[in-house]
Amino acid sequence: MNPVPLQAWLFVSAILFSMGLFGVMTRRHAVAMLLGIELMLNAANINLAAFSHYLSPGGHLNTILDGQVFVLMIIALAACEVAVGLAIVLRIYRMRGVLNPDDASTMKW
Amino acid sequence: MYGIPAEHIVEYVAFLCTAGLTLLGGLGTVVARRVFPACLWLLLCLLGIAGLYGLLAGHLLVAMQILIYAGAITVLIIFAVMLLQRATGRILMAENQHLIGGVIAAGFVAVLIMVGALTTQFPQLSDIDQPNGYAGQNVQLIGQLLMTKYLLPFEIISVVLLAALVGAMVLARREPGE
Repeated sequence: MNPVPLQAWLFVSAILFSMGLFGVMTRRHAVAMLLGIELMLNAANINLAAFSHYLSPGGHLNTILDGQVFVLMIIALAACEVAVGLAIVLRIYRMRGVLNPDDASTMKW
Repeated sequence: MYGIPAEHIVEYVAFLCTAGLTLLGGLGTVVARRVFPACLWLLLCLLGIAGLYGLLAGHLLVAMQILIYAGAITVLIIFAVMLLQRATGRILMAENQHLIGGVIAAGFVAVLIMVGALTTQFPQLSDIDQPNGYAGQNVQLIGQLLMTKYLLPFEIISVVLLAALVGAMVLARREPGE
């Protein structure tokens, strides 16, 4: 097993997650906000891979790699999310001519 | 360097290098003023994460991270940025707004997670169950898991991918009236 303590991986993932959160909250551009979401998804993936490496529920052979399977599924879902998100960004730009999500406020009450 | 045995120094250095690369890429992604360089910073971050997976004995994850994330997703985002730059006729800029509030909220979340990580008592693997013992079979075992225990999620993921494919095309298509 890797001698680096589990907490070090959790720290890296926490910092990466908060960077992504910062990006989503402060960016004024839809594509840049999507980049922040990618950072958060990857932070969650690091956590899953680290937990799968250091801990395994029950210690059975067939539960040790559960975390890595979850990571693969999140990667597939992230690909879907980016494709649909970018299509929505292009669509909104074509319909409204805006790229800042704050300006696309037609449905805001 | 206190508390680190000399024989483990390589693992620590490798971890610090890849983690530093990842965090540098992440920082560049959220503070770069133009969107296109932000995409390139994201690419650096994703490659660093592939290195982190390698240190965690996730060989298939390294391959998938580089193929899907660094290959497909980054290229897709860069394509969209170039399309938008062509459509708008100018370079896409992404200024940050509400900087102080963003720093406070993100720092709060980071501190919260770190405190949680430090105060939780994690159970330790016994020596016989350590994944490195059969690191070479990782890919085989994941394939078996996907075809047995996780067969239903695996198939549902393919339906989701199909739905996203069709949905993205419908959304991005040019309507006859436009």
